[in-house]
Amino acid sequence: MMTRDLLALGPMLITAGGAVVLLLALAVCRSHAFASAWSVLVLAAALAAIPMTWPGAPASGDLLNLLAIDSWALAFWGIIFGSALVVCLLGFEYFRPLAVQAEEFYVLVLLSATGAAVLAAADHFATVFLGLELLSVSLFALAAYRRDQAISIEAGIKYLVLAGTSSALLLFGLALLYFHTASLRLSGLAGPLLAGHPDTIALYAGIALVLVAMGFKLGLAPMHVWTPDVYQGSPAPVSALVGSVSKAGAMAFMVRLAGVTLTGTPGVRNGVFYGLLVLAIASMFTGNLLALRQPNIKRLLAYSSIAHMGYCLLAVLPMAAGAALDRQAVFYYMLAHAVSILGAFGCVCAASENGREAQHVEDYRGLAWRRPVLAGVFSLMLLSLAGIPLTAGFLGKFYVLASGVRNALWLPAVCLVINSGIGLFYYLRVLGTLYQREEAESPDQFATSTAPSALLQPSPQLLLTHLTLAALVVLLIYFGLMPALASLPM
Amino acid sequence: MTSVFYISSGIAVLATLLVVTRTNIVHALLFLIVSLLAVAVDLFVLGAQLAAALEVIIYAGAIMVLFIFVIMMMNLGKAEQEANRHRRSPAWLAAGVLSAVLLAELIYVMVANPGPPVGPGNDPREVAKLLYGPYVLAVELASLLLLSGLVGAYHLGRPEQSRAGTARRLDGSPADSSSGSARPTGLGRAERKTQLGAVVAESSGHDSAAIGGSNAGSGPVPTQEEPS
Repeated sequence: MMTRDLLALGPMLITAGGAVVLLLALAVCRSHAFASAWSVLVLAAALAAIPMTWPGAPASGDLLNLLAIDSWALAFWGIIFGSALVVCLLGFEYFRPLAVQAEEFYVLVLLSATGAAVLAAADHFATVFLGLELLSVSLFALAAYRRDQAISIEAGIKYLVLAGTSSALLLFGLALLYFHTASLRLSGLAGPLLAGHPDTIALYAGIALVLVAMGFKLGLAPMHVWTPDVYQGSPAPVSALVGSVSKAGAMAFMVRLAGVTLTGTPGVRNGVFYGLLVLAIASMFTGNLLALRQPNIKRLLAYSSIAHMGYCLLAVLPMAAGAALDRQAVFYYMLAHAVSILGAFGCVCAASENGREAQHVEDYRGLAWRRPVLAGVFSLMLLSLAGIPLTAGFLGKFYVLASGVRNALWLPAVCLVINSGIGLFYYLRVLGTLYQREEAESPDQFATSTAPSALLQPSPQLLLTHLTLAALVVLLIYFGLMPALASLPM
Repeated sequence: MTSVFYISSGIAVLATLLVVTRTNIVHALLFLIVSLLAVAVDLFVLGAQLAAALEVIIYAGAIMVLFIFVIMMMNLGKAEQEANRHRRSPAWLAAGVLSAVLLAELIYVMVANPGPPVGPGNDPREVAKLLYGPYVLAVELASLLLLSGLVGAYHLGRPEQSRAGTARRLDGSPADSSSGSARPTGLGRAERKTQLGAVVAESSGHDSAAIGGSNAGSGPVPTQEEPS
């Protein structure tokens, strides 16, 4: 392995090494503050190392086999490590008042970020599987992290069982692909598909199984059932991690896979295209329709993220043409989604107190009159998820829609527009609740709701959470006004 | 050779079906071992002798021993025995017959002339060179995967902890080194004991069986130990 390879691997080596060093340090001396500060430092260093390796090193033989560290991977590493950094910041004040031993949380966050980074750069079936497993194993432990709560353990077990099933499907799919192409490289897929091999059943079955596994990670429609339960049961910072880091890694690989398997003459569409099309449209409708009457905020955000992944697939569909614009649209959409979902779960963290999360919409009734700034931040995040101009979510959706229209994908584009309308309904429903005055004087109101006013008092202990939210708001507005990052060459 | 392959494949499928349908966990393990051995025979017939040997050594050997240790520690065997006393299930017989078929196959393959084809990648030295050459990154990633599994299992399998600063009572480091939080530090021994009592009561109230650690089967026994 050459020095050049080590440099290219730099960001990933930093997070992996950081996790190991943290574990060693915890063996000597346990300190929540140290663990948190160290992981923030490590992730910041990894982020800082990304521009140094930009635009990806021309890797030598050994690396070339397993990982493709190109500008695409590096851009997604930016999303992944940035999101993990925000999760560590949110986690500090979330876990501080809890009885749970919180130090392992940071080790697992660092490891899951490493796994997502591997997945984003994977160019070989071995690294695809290892990255996916590293991500899943860390995430299921994180989902069950609050072992004092049955619902958290339930989320962990559900994630474990379903992630295990999807890994088995992935392995089966990879075996079928190897059977057909005799190559473990991702790029080895393109040849047989282009050649129009007569016996393509095994090939398509293999691709379908891999797509199912990736669809599970992304929470696409027929494989979405775990999403609301895991989002609801996990601690709020972990839900944010699932919504940002895991989705970014899986989407980066999905685009790589689509770029290889959707090849062919333009205009002629193969089965992979139609499979992705069905996944996209089904995810949009399923996510939005299920979210309509959802009273639990975390479940609502889960359904919304299902729909968002469906929107994003619209820009994955024309990947055959290999247009840089479509890749940029996917990147910007995932960036905007990560910022918005991190902000939304950050608001849930900020509104929670003493280990009880403010999950129900009723908990947020009249938030604007008690904590106007927090309500404003939450409104911004919801507006960004809904895709209202001046926020990053709007530009992301704009790029995705533009990509669909440019490639004449009318059906999914129309579905996206319809679903944006449906989505607006439930975002605005929550938004309206934020600004409603409480009719707290009626005594039966107190009897039914669990005293939300006591729950949502501003607390001086949440300084770090508030600062993180402020930074996210700045990013949200910045990405909404200055789409400079969208024109990165990739 | 083809018929050997299909017979052992059938045994693998049958044994795996029996694994997931048995209610007695020890019987299920017995069939799991048969299933792994059958897969090893498959690999052997296909020419992957090294993989077959590893399958037997690692899966049927090391990992099964771990399974049996876990079952012994969780004391599930005895409860199962009580529950199943009334019916004599011939699990040992079925597993024995399946294993005997595998043994017969193995003897046939060893005696048969010519033996199974030897595929590439059967030299351990070659495999080692590949693992620590082009695939060194994959090996490192696998180690990280094990690490994350270990950390997760440690966190989820630890005995139930208290609300206050005595959370680390079983780690041998009773001093609360966590940062400036609301946890009180430096509790007296008597006070700690009362808290432990509260924890035991609390943890038995919780759904602690679902946590699946060593705490699950043995109840409040670990919490009665005190750090020296």
